[in-house]
Amino acid sequence: MPLVETKYFGTMTYEDESIFDFPLGLPAFEQEKRFVFIEIAEYSPLVFLQSLNQPSLCFLALPVLAVDPDYGFDLSNEDRATLELPQSAARGDGILALALLSLHDGFPATANLMAPVVVNVATRRALQAIRADQRYSHQHPLPQHGAVLPCEGAC
Amino acid sequence: MLVLRRRAGESLLIGDDIEIEMLELTPHGAKIGIRAPRDTVVLRKELKIIQEQNARAARGPESSDLGKALEKFSRNNSRFCPPTDKQSEN
Repeated sequence: MPLVETKYFGTMTYEDESIFDFPLGLPAFEQEKRFVFIEIAEYSPLVFLQSLNQPSLCFLALPVLAVDPDYGFDLSNEDRATLELPQSAARGDGILALALLSLHDGFPATANLMAPVVVNVATRRALQAIRADQRYSHQHPLPQHGAVLPCEGAC
Repeated sequence: MLVLRRRAGESLLIGDDIEIEMLELTPHGAKIGIRAPRDTVVLRKELKIIQEQNARAARGPESSDLGKALEKFSRNNSRFCPPTDKQSEN
């Protein structure tokens, strides 16, 4: 089984099904095109997006619905094409949307709801979809205590 | 902020070598053409915001501080769990 060196969990084995392709990379990390999604039961519903070729690069993310149960978004036609998502696919169908977190000592924890990482679950292609509207913040505050909603199934 | 009204087909000049042309205006948005020197960076503003936010997100927490930083996400932490009936009675 292939191995990946991770920022937080040492060397791990992974399955090909855990690899997600970001054909465009992420803004500021355009060269990072492959990530392993790591889920640790203890930290569920948190997801760790570990770069496959840069061990020190690991994003922490939460399903957008765990941050805001009413979160909604439309994908542009360009984004749908990049994700290889049929134009006819219903909204939210077969899609996973994750908000990248900023967690630093001494600063309030925030989630980026302005640019969710969107995944076509069937093809494991992903991108960061940037909203041009002003509806959601790139620094949406996470609650200090009591935290996020448990998120089973739907997201 | 300087505010100007322009129609489709009309242009603005910024400095000596940047031209902004209004190509098409619809209720859904404006199509804009930009003529600028090759070394001038033109970015959608929201992309710049996300680049900076991604750089922040990529920084931390440190590996050694993970447990502390994620305390509130831990299933073992009662604060994470939705309140039980007993707690809500209190």
